[in-house]
Amino acid sequence: METIINCSDIGFSYNGTNVLNGISLSIQPGNMLGILGANGAGKSTLLKILCGVLKPKIGSAVFNDQELSKMDRREIAKGIAYIPQDPMFAFPFTVKEIVLMGRAPYIGRFEFERDIDKDIALNALETVGISHLKDRLISEVSSGERQLASIARGLVQEPEIMILDEPATYLDVKHRTEIMNILRELKDNKGISIIAATHDIFSSLFYFDDIMILKDGNTLAEGKSDQIIDSELLSSAYGIEVTVKKENGRVFVFPNQ
Amino acid sequence: MSSNRKFAISITILFILWIITVFIALFSGTYNIGPLDAISNADELSKTIFLEIRIPRILMATIAGGTLAIAGAALQALFRNPLASPFTLGISGGASLGALLAIRSGLAVGILGFSMVSISAFVFSILTMLFVYSISKVGGVVATGRLLLAGVVANFLYAAVVMFIQFFSSFTESLQTMRWIMGSLDVVGFDTVWKTLIFVIPGCAILLSLTKEMNLFGLGDDVAASLGVNVRRMEKKIYFATSLAAGAVIAVTGPIGFVGLIIPHILRMLLGVDNRIILPSSFLLGAIFLTAADTLSRTVISPVEIPVGIITASIGGIFFLWLLIKTKKEIIV
Repeated sequence: METIINCSDIGFSYNGTNVLNGISLSIQPGNMLGILGANGAGKSTLLKILCGVLKPKIGSAVFNDQELSKMDRREIAKGIAYIPQDPMFAFPFTVKEIVLMGRAPYIGRFEFERDIDKDIALNALETVGISHLKDRLISEVSSGERQLASIARGLVQEPEIMILDEPATYLDVKHRTEIMNILRELKDNKGISIIAATHDIFSSLFYFDDIMILKDGNTLAEGKSDQIIDSELLSSAYGIEVTVKKENGRVFVFPNQ
Repeated sequence: MSSNRKFAISITILFILWIITVFIALFSGTYNIGPLDAISNADELSKTIFLEIRIPRILMATIAGGTLAIAGAALQALFRNPLASPFTLGISGGASLGALLAIRSGLAVGILGFSMVSISAFVFSILTMLFVYSISKVGGVVATGRLLLAGVVANFLYAAVVMFIQFFSSFTESLQTMRWIMGSLDVVGFDTVWKTLIFVIPGCAILLSLTKEMNLFGLGDDVAASLGVNVRRMEKKIYFATSLAAGAVIAVTGPIGFVGLIIPHILRMLLGVDNRIILPSSFLLGAIFLTAADTLSRTVISPVEIPVGIITASIGGIFFLWLLIKTKKEIIV
């Protein structure tokens, strides 16, 4: 089967502490993969390896038949967009300027954005629904709007795959739903594959085609979310006794204590 | 307005302002030389003053002001902090000490055309930058408090060594050092100008080539890397280039404060924060500012020359405060 990202037996450690022990995963075009797991399970590290920001100590991550660690960074940036959990904005650029930065891999060293780049950016702002904010400073918009700007920035990279680290964790239920809906639309309408780490078990059944659960740097389970999620698995993943109830494609999780 | 138009307009305006400033600076001073005198019927003294003193001095002011401002803008991008500048991070202090040590130990000779004083200033500035950077970084992020504290500590340590040297100097030597530390553009002839340019041109060129990366760097290490930036290499280039250019300038002029801090800020208030616009504009506005300040320092209570550092700090400080109060825009994010 055709895969966009394929990684096998990935191991990673920070200062001698193992964070990932032999993780393998692959994602098909136009699929949405959710990565669940307790804090510190290795989700963020895995995502950074998948987008080429970190190089695995063991194993290999392959993007469209090319090993990521051997690819040119700008080439990676044209295929993979990375949106971190809590994006940093050290300087008060305007929202439009932030989004345009996603065109960086397409623009030469001493060049400014061309008209086509600006059109792509305006389209992306439209897609995520924040066109009205384009001239506002990023420091003046809400955290939900900042996250949307980050997604738009990723979108103008024209990636085949977007990798998001807990895109909705800090947001209220309205913005969280909005972001998940946007991601699903990107998948359905533009065929962009999505890998997202999430703590949102409730919507993982609803949005993700597949899920993978990490625990202490190991794969605890993977597969179709409606098939694998149950009380026993989640209790083990999060280290707390929980009960899982499924109803109309939604998962409800209650702590037993 | 789109970025490329904003770039073209601001660079053009600043360039014209620079030409005007240089023109005024050329024909003001204790010794009165009019534009016509300089071209025709000039006497020997006028010619000498004009060619050997004024032009080199104005060039030096342009190079020094431009370099300090561009270095400040680059450091603010590197440290992701609006308070970074060669002065606040102790780099000026380091370069001064490096230069002073080279001068006092009789190393004021050239090696292959490079002045040992500049090289020593460069080594001290890059060491200071590495010291301040490693101390201020906690968990991959520069902590503002630690950054400024490290800069202050570096400044104090260097000041202590400078004072120690001062203590054992003769009265004349001590006065010379003092004047130099206050900042002065008192150069004679073109020799110093060329020798400084050898360091300044590659330094500024490297910084200007990194402006796009600097913008992306403001989105955090990981996002910058995911957008194609080799973050570690970019950081190293900025250390190297700022130390090279600012070190060489400070070795000649002494630690002229405030230019590196305020010029990029004034421009960000007017033009936004895009480093592709801010860095080149900083060079021009820094050049204008220091040339104007130096002209004032030569003429305000002529024939006495006030050290230009006093002018930059007082005018720059007051102007910056005024801008802060007036714009109310958020600067520290």
